[in-house]
Amino acid sequence: MKDILTKAARNDGMTVPDGYFDDFAARMAASLPEMEWEKPQPKVMPRTAWQRVRPYLYLAAMFMGVWCMMKMFDLMRTDSSGLSIDNNPVMTAALNNDHFINEYFINEGDISDYQLMQDLYETGFDPSVCEEELTDEFTDSTVIPENPEFPISDI
Amino acid sequence: MEKDLKPDDSTLVARLRDPSTCRAAFNDLIRLYSEPLYRLIRRTVQLHDDADDVLQNTFLKAWQNIENFRGDAKLSTWLYKIAVNESISYLEREKKRRGISLDDDESQLIALIQADTNIDGDELALKLRNAIATLPEKQRLVFNMRYYDDMKYEQMSEIMGTSVGALKASYHLAVKKIEQFFADSD
Repeated sequence: MKDILTKAARNDGMTVPDGYFDDFAARMAASLPEMEWEKPQPKVMPRTAWQRVRPYLYLAAMFMGVWCMMKMFDLMRTDSSGLSIDNNPVMTAALNNDHFINEYFINEGDISDYQLMQDLYETGFDPSVCEEELTDEFTDSTVIPENPEFPISDI
Repeated sequence: MEKDLKPDDSTLVARLRDPSTCRAAFNDLIRLYSEPLYRLIRRTVQLHDDADDVLQNTFLKAWQNIENFRGDAKLSTWLYKIAVNESISYLEREKKRRGISLDDDESQLIALIQADTNIDGDELALKLRNAIATLPEKQRLVFNMRYYDDMKYEQMSEIMGTSVGALKASYHLAVKKIEQFFADSD
């Protein structure tokens, strides 16, 4: 058997017409349909450095614009209202008035009871009026504790 | 000595991938591969006119799918695969058209061989073709690729999707059957 295959020498005995392969290549080449991917594609240009950086620059510019706008609004509000302590003429006049400073700033925190009562007497205050009002508020059933938790003077 | 059809396909593949050079490269591919593919197809379908049709379909299919060729396999392997599939599909279509059953497969092939006029008159070669026609379809393909094309088992494995071991066993069985055919006919 090995001899038969050796004798056959890989010859299949098949032949083709003369010039078949040259003719076939030409026929085949002519019959190939045009494919979609054969058509030239639009060239995609590589992105330049400016094109790559541009969106980030625009973003930064936008934030800068917003910041400037907020700063401008802040300045406009201070100038137009005139209500800031530094620029308020009413406050400036009050601070320059010694009587105002003495009456409302210096004595306000530590005014004594004596001075308060004195001021009240000077303005015509009658303490008996207060005592009557206080007596009327208590009824017979009201029991006043001997050692009240809060002295009457605090009421 | 085992031969490799086209050992350096890299330049051709690069040209095939470029749309501007693809058509010219494919024409080169036709000139390079038309003969080996024709031989493979002819041994399967037997007649020249049938082989011509199948070869055209093979190249047409390759052209239509060339953009899907990723280059993972060799160009020759890819083309052989298409050719084998096209040949088998052609035989199946012919069987259906002529109403031939699987049992009559062998007699159909022998009839085709006898009807073939494009032969060189070599008696031994003709007898070997008849012996090959008695083989099952897959063994026939394996024997043809191994004996006539001297193809490596690894490449055959890629084309047919069968393990190298199974192909070796298949070839060995085919040789035994051909040997028996010759013994019986003497």
